Amino acid sequence: MKGLLLKDFYMTIKYCRMTLVVSVLFLILAFFNDSLFILFYPGMICGLIPTTLLAYDERSRWLQYSMTMPYTKTQIVSSKYLIGLTGQILMLLVIAAVQAVKMRMSGSFMLREYLITLMLIAILSLFSSSVSLPFIFKLGVEKGRITYYVMVGVVCGLGGGASVVLGKEIPQHMALDSVLPVLLLIVAGIYALSWYLSVVFFKKREI
Amino acid sequence: MNALELRNVTKKYPDFCLEGIDLTLPGGCIIGLIGQNGAGKSTTIKLILDMLQLDDGYISVLGMDHHKHARDIKEDVGVVLDEVGIPECLNARQVGKVMQNTYKNWDMAKYNELLLRLSLPEKKPFKEFSRGMKMKLGIAVAMSHGAKLLVLDEPTGGLDPVVRDQVVEMFYEFTRDEEHSILISSHIVSDLERLCDYVAFLHHGKLLLCQEKDALLDTYCGVRCTREQLATLPAGAILHKRETPYGVELVMKREDVPQELARGPITIEELFVTMIKEARA
Repeated sequence: MKGLLLKDFYMTIKYCRMTLVVSVLFLILAFFNDSLFILFYPGMICGLIPTTLLAYDERSRWLQYSMTMPYTKTQIVSSKYLIGLTGQILMLLVIAAVQAVKMRMSGSFMLREYLITLMLIAILSLFSSSVSLPFIFKLGVEKGRITYYVMVGVVCGLGGGASVVLGKEIPQHMALDSVLPVLLLIVAGIYALSWYLSVVFFKKREI
Repeated sequence: MNALELRNVTKKYPDFCLEGIDLTLPGGCIIGLIGQNGAGKSTTIKLILDMLQLDDGYISVLGMDHHKHARDIKEDVGVVLDEVGIPECLNARQVGKVMQNTYKNWDMAKYNELLLRLSLPEKKPFKEFSRGMKMKLGIAVAMSHGAKLLVLDEPTGGLDPVVRDQVVEMFYEFTRDEEHSILISSHIVSDLERLCDYVAFLHHGKLLLCQEKDALLDTYCGVRCTREQLATLPAGAILHKRETPYGVELVMKREDVPQELARGPITIEELFVTMIKEARA
């Protein structure tokens, strides 16, 4: 699978520069705006990387070509999930650093709030890519991508709603610090289920 | 050992059906799959490569079941598809690195030698390649991992005559090793005529024939005669007839040609066209 990951790495460098630029802009914006959405967005667009790569794969007929190589369909699907997960984890680390600096600078650093924010971002970005990828592997990028945009819309709405409800601080009475780790585990399970469904769908799909 | 064996291979679509294909490629030989666009050549190739699921039949590649041993088989099979499939942003050097991490027997020295021989730039992105250069890069990849069987889907399409000659020469070189075989599909019959030991004619998903090329050319011949001579021939013996201002040109089995008429050579292309017309009739 190393060859697939290397090829995806080359393509990410080439095609996902705009994702990086937009993410940096949002992270800069995050210093001047307390909306949680500003922090959610970079994580979510990193979840779009596998979809972007699959779109280019379909256009160049790479999916057909890769199936003439000693790769299984499971490996082809897994490489996309690994690339997406890696992108999201790296972005989460950057967001974590930005948020820590921002909170320190404003003198409002609270570990509980900090961790809750990061967990919310991780949950929303993982969840949105979990839902869309099986559709993309089943239907192809053109049709499958619509589900991603629907998910991004829903998640952005949730994120925006959460930021309005929660405001700058997470209310103490909410048991988010005990609920969110469980929710994160559930979403990780959904991500694994999403991978499994993608493998099943892709195995049945004739390219 | 046969490089390829297809038995009763069947694949059904709502608007197309590949039916009961039986085909054998002995090791060390080249077989040309000839057919019009939409005849089923690419479907046959995709079935061989386990890219499509069989509805019926059995395929063996290099002595192994094509589905059960797909990964082992693909290590030993070099493939060039009609649309090569290399990502547009990659250059030849990056393609080499990807393939080095894909094939166990990847030979980087051989790959670099082929890039040089085929005049392919190392750092130019694939999207800036001409159709011919794209095809040449696909061929370089297919021939750089110690493949025993090359499966080539329209590999000479879009190549200029000089490059086509160069590529055909490389395929010849490949089959000098007795273990190496090639399945090549094309509708440019003249290329296949030069290259192949066996030819298979596909038409509307059916295999019209699969035979050794020389035996085929020994069996059939071209005949030129007058209209009066034509009238003396039994109608069933004439496979194809073309009337010209100077007489009549016929395609017949050699054994059916009367002694008084001269038997001339026939090309695979003429024979293919004859059989397609016969199938249509």
